[in-house]
Amino acid sequence: MSVIEYDVVIIGAGVAGLTAGALLAERGFKVALVTTGEPTACLSTGCVDVCSRDHKPLSGIHDLPPEHPYHLVPEKITRDALNYFQTAMMDMGIPYAGSAEENRFILSALGTLKTSCLVPLTMKTAPQDNKEGIHIVTFKGLKDFYPGYIISRRKNTKFSVYDAGVYHTMGIASHFEEKEFFEKFIIWLGKLNIDEDKIAFPAVIGMESAAEIINTIAILMGKPVFEIPTIPPSMPGRRLFNALKGYFRKKGGMIYWSWPVEGTEKAGRLIEAVATHSAGRPNSINARAFILATGSFVGGGLTATREAIIENVFNLPVHTDGPRETWFDNNYFSLNHGIGRAGIIADLSLRPADSPWDNIFVCGGILANTEILKNGCGHGLALATAHVAAQSCAEYLSNEI
Amino acid sequence: MIKTDVIIIGGGATGCGIARDLALRGIPHCLIEKGDFAAGATGACHGLLHSGCRYAVTDPIAARECYEENLILRRIGRKCVEQTGGLFVRLPGDSKRFRELFLRSCEEVGIPTEVISSTRAIDLVPNLNPEIEEAIKVPDCSIDPFRLCLLNIRTSQLRGGIIFTRHKVTEIIKSHGRCTGIKAVDQATGEVREIHANIIVNATGAWANMIASLAGSEVPMTLVKGSLVITNHRLTNMVINRLRQPSDGDIIVPNEAVCLAGTTALAIDDPDQLLTESSEVDTIISEAGKMIPHFNNTRIIRAFSGVRPLLKSKKADSHEISRGFQIINHENGMYSIAGGKLTTFRLMAEKMVDTIMASFNLKKLCETAEIPLDGQEELSGYPLSRRLADMKNIVCECELVTRQEVERIIRQTGTRNVGDIQHRTRLGMGPCQGGFCTFRALGIMNDMSVISPQQSMEMLRGFLQRRYRGIRHALWGDQLREEQLIEYIYLGILAMEKPE
Amino acid sequence: MKYEHCIRCTICVENCPVFRVNPEFPGPKQAGPDAQRFRSDREKAEDEWVLLCSQCKRCEMACPCGVEPAEIILKAQQRYGREHSHTPAHLLFANNYYLSALGSLTVPIANMIASAEIGKKAFRAMGISTYIPFPKFRFRTMRKEKKILNRRTRKVAFFYGCFINFYRPDIGRKIIRLLSALNVDVVLPPQWCCGLPALGNGNLALAKYFAQKNASSLSNYIDAGYDIVYTCTSCGLCLLHDYPGILEIPQGKKIAENSYDVHEYIIKLINEEYARPVFKETLRKIAYHIPCHLRALNIGYPAAKLMSLIPGLECEILDDTCCGLSGSYGFKKSNELTAIQLGNRAVSLIRKTKASDIVADCGSCRMQLGGLSGLPALDPAEILCESMGITDQK
Repeated sequence: MSVIEYDVVIIGAGVAGLTAGALLAERGFKVALVTTGEPTACLSTGCVDVCSRDHKPLSGIHDLPPEHPYHLVPEKITRDALNYFQTAMMDMGIPYAGSAEENRFILSALGTLKTSCLVPLTMKTAPQDNKEGIHIVTFKGLKDFYPGYIISRRKNTKFSVYDAGVYHTMGIASHFEEKEFFEKFIIWLGKLNIDEDKIAFPAVIGMESAAEIINTIAILMGKPVFEIPTIPPSMPGRRLFNALKGYFRKKGGMIYWSWPVEGTEKAGRLIEAVATHSAGRPNSINARAFILATGSFVGGGLTATREAIIENVFNLPVHTDGPRETWFDNNYFSLNHGIGRAGIIADLSLRPADSPWDNIFVCGGILANTEILKNGCGHGLALATAHVAAQSCAEYLSNEI
Repeated sequence: MIKTDVIIIGGGATGCGIARDLALRGIPHCLIEKGDFAAGATGACHGLLHSGCRYAVTDPIAARECYEENLILRRIGRKCVEQTGGLFVRLPGDSKRFRELFLRSCEEVGIPTEVISSTRAIDLVPNLNPEIEEAIKVPDCSIDPFRLCLLNIRTSQLRGGIIFTRHKVTEIIKSHGRCTGIKAVDQATGEVREIHANIIVNATGAWANMIASLAGSEVPMTLVKGSLVITNHRLTNMVINRLRQPSDGDIIVPNEAVCLAGTTALAIDDPDQLLTESSEVDTIISEAGKMIPHFNNTRIIRAFSGVRPLLKSKKADSHEISRGFQIINHENGMYSIAGGKLTTFRLMAEKMVDTIMASFNLKKLCETAEIPLDGQEELSGYPLSRRLADMKNIVCECELVTRQEVERIIRQTGTRNVGDIQHRTRLGMGPCQGGFCTFRALGIMNDMSVISPQQSMEMLRGFLQRRYRGIRHALWGDQLREEQLIEYIYLGILAMEKPE
Repeated sequence: MKYEHCIRCTICVENCPVFRVNPEFPGPKQAGPDAQRFRSDREKAEDEWVLLCSQCKRCEMACPCGVEPAEIILKAQQRYGREHSHTPAHLLFANNYYLSALGSLTVPIANMIASAEIGKKAFRAMGISTYIPFPKFRFRTMRKEKKILNRRTRKVAFFYGCFINFYRPDIGRKIIRLLSALNVDVVLPPQWCCGLPALGNGNLALAKYFAQKNASSLSNYIDAGYDIVYTCTSCGLCLLHDYPGILEIPQGKKIAENSYDVHEYIIKLINEEYARPVFKETLRKIAYHIPCHLRALNIGYPAAKLMSLIPGLECEILDDTCCGLSGSYGFKKSNELTAIQLGNRAVSLIRKTKASDIVADCGSCRMQLGGLSGLPALDPAEILCESMGITDQK
């Protein structure tokens, strides 16, 4: 048995987990984070949606139904969480634009205006209405992006096509990191005659260096430039994840990859360790507290069998609307599917309600009643609840000493 | 206004088979179908080309027909029929008396069978329940039913047949008590087409009575709903049947890269109101799991229902109603052809066209059993592993559909409907059920200026709604996880708006 | 049937180094779970492009659903290798153990030939790429070393691997002395190539042959109370993952449970208060490139932990890229361009750190990164030994 001692183990490497981990690590706790794989955040637009119900996200939160987990987070903490995020991202070299006071739009690959709150600098100059003229520069053969969708929804939108020699997101993004390729591209771009107000690219123009590249192009062309998030693989999502991961490590956190929790060790009302079977030896990690940030179904935090919904790590009781027949509405677009409310109900300390354990905290998408798509609150909720969970956890650990 | 000799209403296997036969015998014709091909029972069945064994005990005539057609289709459809072979497996507790009866009946009908030990059976199909006592090898085959219809239609198109899909027949025009033509509405544009002919063939399957009534005639039918589930991948390379009296859930068919398992039998009234129920899904999985245990844990990617168009009978058990077919002469210039099954479609078409030829006083004989199906050279064929040779430019990664194929279909058929691309290429039929590739296919249609601005969004919405109906009852485990991801992509990343 | 779990999220694709630079490779999702639905044991294998996978395992580390695409692809590679003839390069590298044995016996002639123009031309004609120099063979291989047995409570059997044995026995000697300085007895059990080069070059039978011999030998030592210690992270992955896995070695589980990376073992000794190494100040700025296979071992980065105890050592960890050589992968001409592109990218990230030296546990990574950058490339054990004042000379 390889046994290591930490103060807290975070389970899940998404926005919630990495944020809670960083907060605890910078307060001097010994933090380990275990995860099966990389999180859903890698596939996201990279933006932080706080609450899309109202133009002012904090008012929108206020209007959410009483059982929504946002109500477990005092407004000040939500504000602090968003500020903290922006500071951290600035530190890691991918600054975010926006503020908690009002929402903003980014342009989606379907040409719709997507509501978000904090967006990477690369999407800062996205149009806020349907009036601005946009010139889209896309790449030959790129099968995950079609300017036609956008052109069909906006007037004054045209596009040009560049042959990058490779035809998928990762390949093109990788090429943009090469000096020679970029210089050739710039020469071609410079020759284009662009009348429209702004220039847009699908989010394939660079991996880590996208912000610099966009800046260079904007200066060269004398127009604002922004990127449009694509279907997975997603470069902006990747950047967000890499930055959060780097930030957590910078604060002293340790990550264990490919570490699915397959068992736990308990004593009385305390979880003592989580365990996995990996590479030869059974492995367990001891800690004094645990934070569950494993996400919803996509993230792997919840699994549905035909009979029930199960929380995969600690087997906590999962709130569901009813049996399998109630999980789904007849209308796909109703956004009222019962399954969107499934998850763990938490108390004000973000411990699971009626939990048999004293030292588990939950945050992020695994919480019940989030209805992330309906309320437009994915990463914002993760950040806010991570702060509360980290705070509660820190208090618990300090009292325990 | 179009004038022709024969109008065929219905683009299922029967209608398409009739079109092919008429084309080969040189009779001008026009086929009308309200959806895309194989919209009815044809597109909602196992895709099984029976050996006939299944009917040997209760319906030896149907069994013989099946077997002969099986042989013919294998000959004329070398590249589109997969000669999987089949097994009838006997589990502990299954009646030995039935087994005897089964073997005797097959012998009497003349269908070759081979009794094999459980060890050999498991050798052939490693996922079989290790408890099986024995198996009987039979010459079952499998086919993609959409493809079957399309290949038949190809012959008609090559010889001047006129085909209208997505046209709904609203009126049968009569003159002096005789049917002289039809009016059909283009579902996309609302345009009304009028077509006149000497004979109308009602080959609409479950809708036969509805169409017949437009001419003041009747086709007494029993409509029996049957549900099927589709698995993520092939659990068997041979058709697996249960060796017992036909009952729910006792067939598993490998088809392309998936398995279809089913079916159930519930009488219904309206063929347009089809709801798959969770209990049906549970039954099918449970029964299939007895033959292939992995079924109990495997990933199901889709569950859907179809309607069997059976001629009305006095028997209470729908499984026992004869699958034999009937040609009804309504004595007013219209014929209805009803009943039958996918395996005997060619024979049904032959008989129908023989009748038509007789009424025209023409003597040309049927050649559909001799001439190979047109259009097979474009197919990738079997075995499936051959398709792995080239992985470039793939738009649907689950089913290995290339961009060139999609563009070709769009150009060839002038299609403006993503469902048409799906039927012809299997785009979106794999584990993600079109989650990624439909965005791409519609994008390509956009690029090729085939659809208007408003249409692409509507189509995407329509597609997601239709797709949802098919997967709703399979949403647990991995498939639910998949579904949440697709939801995040369309409603999150792509920020699709809710319909008004 | 792990490929059932794939939800097509493309996270594996985001992580695949080969996919990023080589358009011929369809990526781990398409090569693994997507293609698996079409493969059949009874039909001929048509998927030649599976050979482009370098088996870096980054897809498996990233997959949130437990699909293990690299394993699916590995099996497909073996299948393809069985049904199609091997190129000369594949044959040579699968048998690297025997060739290197011959090379070390015929030092210095072997080295002269390998570095001469005529030798390089011959290699290129056989499909072997020569963009970085081959490692030099050494005459005094590990086989000629002596064990250190002082009847101490902790004893290890050192599985040194081919790279140390034939090319850098000096590092092997340092490790023996390092362990001895920590109060651990070290024996050198009879051992052969771990089998990974054979496995990676489509020769499953040869890999099993080596594996079985190693397993029997190591098993005896385990029964006698020895722990197994390895230093090359690829050997380690082979022992822990492939012996009980695709190679189906009966003692595989036992070997996996009793084998430790040398740094992991040292940390274990420290945690159990058996050893208390004293590290003297070492003023270096190093870029620690984490080998892909070390990540795949799931033991964290034990060498990093040890090096963090060395005063004055500035260590920056780089674990986001594959070096591109991937064992013998990059030495095949068909993969040369991929290896060079990936290697250059890794080097540019290293240069950004302004480190003076590169450190990596894997000999292959050291060859690649050192060869492409011109910077010294060291084994972490060399840093530890330097700090503890241990040399390879008596």
